[in-house]
Amino acid sequence: MLELHSVVKHFASPGGEVIRAVDGVSLSIDPGEMVALYGPSGSGKTTLLKIIAALLRPDSGAVRVGSRDVLALSKREAAAYRLHEVGFVRQQPDFVPGASAIDNAALKLFDELRRRDARRRVEPLMHRLGLGDRLRHAGDELSTGERQRVLIARALSTEPSLLLADEPTGNLDSRRSRDVMELLCELCHERGVATLLVTHDPLVAGYADRALELHDGRLQDYVGDSSHL
Amino acid sequence: MKLANVAALYQMRLRAQLGQELLALLGIAVGVSLLFAALVANTSLTGSFERTTKGIVGKARYEFAARGEGFDERMLSKVEGLSGVAAAAGILEVRAQARSGRLRRSVLLVGVTPDFAKLDGAVSPVFSYGWLADVTALALPTPLVHELRLTLGQSVILDVSGHSVVARLGTKLQASDIGSLIDSPVAIAPLHYAQALSNRVRQLSRVFVVPKAGQDSRVRAELTRLAAGRIDVRAADFDAALFRQASQPTSQSTAMFSVFSAMVGFLFAFSAVLLTVPQRRQLIADLRTEGYGPRTIFKVLLFDALVLGVVASAVGIVAGDQLARHLFDQRPVFLEMAFAFGSERITTPTTVVIAAAGGVAASLIAVLGPMAPSLLRGADIEPLDRKPGRLDSALLSSGLVCLAAGIVTVIARPSLAGIGVGGLVFLTVAMLLLLPLILRRLVALLDLATEGIRSIVPFLAITDLRDPVTHLRSLAVAATGAVAIFGSVALQGAHADLQRGLDRTSADLSSIGDVWVVAPGRANLLATTPFRAPTLRVPPGVISRFADFRGSFLDVGDRRIVVYGSPASARRPIPRGQMIDGDTTRATRLLRAGGWAVVSAALANQLGLRVGQRFVLPSPVPTPLRVSALSTNMGWPPGAMVLNSDDYARAWGSDDVSAVHATLAPGVTQAEGAQELRRALGPRSGLDVQTAAQRERDQRAASREGLTRLTEIAALVLVAAMIAMAAAMAGMIWQRRAFLARMKVEGYSAGELWRSLLLEAAVLVGAGCAIGALFGLLGQSLLSRALTSVTGFPVLYSVAVVDALLSCAAVTLVSVAIIGVFGRRAASIDARVGVR
Repeated sequence: MLELHSVVKHFASPGGEVIRAVDGVSLSIDPGEMVALYGPSGSGKTTLLKIIAALLRPDSGAVRVGSRDVLALSKREAAAYRLHEVGFVRQQPDFVPGASAIDNAALKLFDELRRRDARRRVEPLMHRLGLGDRLRHAGDELSTGERQRVLIARALSTEPSLLLADEPTGNLDSRRSRDVMELLCELCHERGVATLLVTHDPLVAGYADRALELHDGRLQDYVGDSSHL
Repeated sequence: MKLANVAALYQMRLRAQLGQELLALLGIAVGVSLLFAALVANTSLTGSFERTTKGIVGKARYEFAARGEGFDERMLSKVEGLSGVAAAAGILEVRAQARSGRLRRSVLLVGVTPDFAKLDGAVSPVFSYGWLADVTALALPTPLVHELRLTLGQSVILDVSGHSVVARLGTKLQASDIGSLIDSPVAIAPLHYAQALSNRVRQLSRVFVVPKAGQDSRVRAELTRLAAGRIDVRAADFDAALFRQASQPTSQSTAMFSVFSAMVGFLFAFSAVLLTVPQRRQLIADLRTEGYGPRTIFKVLLFDALVLGVVASAVGIVAGDQLARHLFDQRPVFLEMAFAFGSERITTPTTVVIAAAGGVAASLIAVLGPMAPSLLRGADIEPLDRKPGRLDSALLSSGLVCLAAGIVTVIARPSLAGIGVGGLVFLTVAMLLLLPLILRRLVALLDLATEGIRSIVPFLAITDLRDPVTHLRSLAVAATGAVAIFGSVALQGAHADLQRGLDRTSADLSSIGDVWVVAPGRANLLATTPFRAPTLRVPPGVISRFADFRGSFLDVGDRRIVVYGSPASARRPIPRGQMIDGDTTRATRLLRAGGWAVVSAALANQLGLRVGQRFVLPSPVPTPLRVSALSTNMGWPPGAMVLNSDDYARAWGSDDVSAVHATLAPGVTQAEGAQELRRALGPRSGLDVQTAAQRERDQRAASREGLTRLTEIAALVLVAAMIAMAAAMAGMIWQRRAFLARMKVEGYSAGELWRSLLLEAAVLVGAGCAIGALFGLLGQSLLSRALTSVTGFPVLYSVAVVDALLSCAAVTLVSVAIIGVFGRRAASIDARVGVR
């Protein structure tokens, strides 16, 4: 589903030094597979996610999602790609202020469906995520864990082929983290979504089918504390 | 925390939020500048006249003033001979037109003697010049000399008392000579020369009297005895009271506009300060965490507010001074017909204090208001709709009560200026209270209407409008538009109603005769300058009849009213469409019969007169009359009266006329008639021939000029509102860039996000303006009715829906266009910002 081949992205630091954020990364994720990308801060994880989401062009390499060459996309096509084919779950719960939980979950459907239909489409997913009694609640009336689950619902609402999760449990305690990760795993496997999970939490990485480590822009097998995996 | 540390903390934060602070500063400065300029304009109008009056009368306590053209100059000796009089000086004032080549200017010819120096007024030095005793030359203020392009010794033609005379420019007067009179259209001449020029030999208009110490009441009694009921005895500076009364409508309307200006400025500042609320809330939380108590936190916030308020007020006062100098300095020219006044700009300490206090108060409310919950309860600010049920009911009930009070005031035809203004306040408060509810309903409707649209655009706009965190800011933006449009529609609508009424009056008054022979000059637009009726010989078949028209200003109580003596033979001796109480046909019949007068309603109210009642006109020869009908003030604010031309001649004890009407023979055009009359007058006549159409045009132009200041202030308020709304919205949008970036990460394009911002801005600004326009139409009705019943102006009321819609659309479009530019930039933020 997702294929990265020798992707390189270097930045020049203010001092003139070259930062090798992504340095020849090759990676393949199958449908329904969850891959954890482990690495400390500044290791290039987010840069890699941006490249896969067509938010950043690499210096070289190839990125394919299904049959689509992500690097050949125009700005408009890139936006459509993110809207329809990619789900994105971030550490910060990006709620639309003033909107209800269900509207936040249905946000990505508003361009193709009427609002009523979009809500109807996402409602079963919300129930599945345990938010059935929270549909009309505003963001500030939900707990952090609930908000994160709403964003998972949003990410999966368009039935994407690829899910990118950037520290999805970064703001949650361990119990909530476990709950969220279990749900995410279950849904991704069930729906055949290729998932790239970026984290620096070994506990979270433990939920993945495979765990890789990004170190100084280079990808390697995760060799951390294997007791978590 | 020590003050120095508070200041240091402020400085550190200022660097981080300089943009928002500057925006807030701009908002308060705009409000202060408009308020200050309007206050200065008002103070200057009456203040400059008062200063001039005081400068002339000096130590004089009383004036002995002719009711008509003048009294015998021997009266001066009699006054001087009164036992309690220390000094007295006589003056002759005659309306004239000065000409030099093609340039012409209405002037007040003032004849004085060196005796004037005895009054010891601020402008006395000029009267002590030796040349005043025996030279035959004029002294003109330097600006007037420049306007007429004259040089010393050059001849200037004066059209005065119905003839043209050649005079010589002897002296150019400077401001140091005549103070604020420097910008007044006056021509000063030695008394005997002025008397000769104007054919008013041995006549005086006024005598100023300085009583001996402790002899005030005695002198007044002696003067009253000497006046024998034919000359007015009053305070020497009484003219200032007359002028204040005459300029009241101008001052009041400017004051009303200044209040709206201040409100717009405050809302501007409030919106801008709200942009920094999150930072200030964070500051409170940080200080509290670090162990600082409420007093310190309050001190820190108070310092913020005071710095902002003081600096913004200073900037506003400087800008306001420039506005007052360059934009608000127009003089209500129509008042020049009855008063000679200067254009001195007067800034009093009170004006500065009011403007500065307004600015600091606005800053204190804007900075401390939203922080009050955090300060008092140590909690975060409560969004407005946290308890929508209770708050909505309170807003709805109090809003409806205010609206009802406003409507009752409209229907009740306000009889007092206070109630009229009170009604306007009720409507403004009602509008502001109901605004959040109306806005919420509109958003709900929009939500419903766009439910079936497959686009993120309406959804994002609607959710932003509903966002409780920015709700207060959104309301402030809508309220800015609402207040500005409300003020503009109400005042401009009433202005338009008044203008239509004045236009009809001009048409009514001008159509009394087909062609008019009058003294020339703009100051004689109402035909109030007397002259000896000329003999007019025109070929047969041109004019079917001539009729004498008389008119002048007369002081009745504290009003300088205009009195018209309309010829009984005129087709319509009473201007049509000016009646408020009484039947025009009956009033016309009674006027022709003689002994009856049509009196303007406001004047009748003050004198306690009703239709049919008798009164004595305080004319040079006090004359008993009866009220045949009540009319509008015919466009002259203090009031008007129409009587039979023959009654007028008896009351003034003079056969002089102020116009000769010519009714044209059938088939003769006004232009042909006018040409024949000019030929009959000859080239040396000091009179002018005007067709009815020409007079109507001139009067319309003068009334429009008189209301220019209102139009300009209204335009400025709208511009300020546009800037305020655009700045506040742009600030809000700018702070939302990170969110927009995250929406881009979700796959939405810059175009969609931009359109959502535009829609949000259009809804907010458009709704605010529309609500303002709706309430503005009610306000217009209130003001027009108040103008009719309080001042007696001839107002032709009409619901100015088109004007209101145009104002609303213009402000909305311009504001949304400006916001659109910022929105475009904000929406084109790099999506990568959303994945940091």
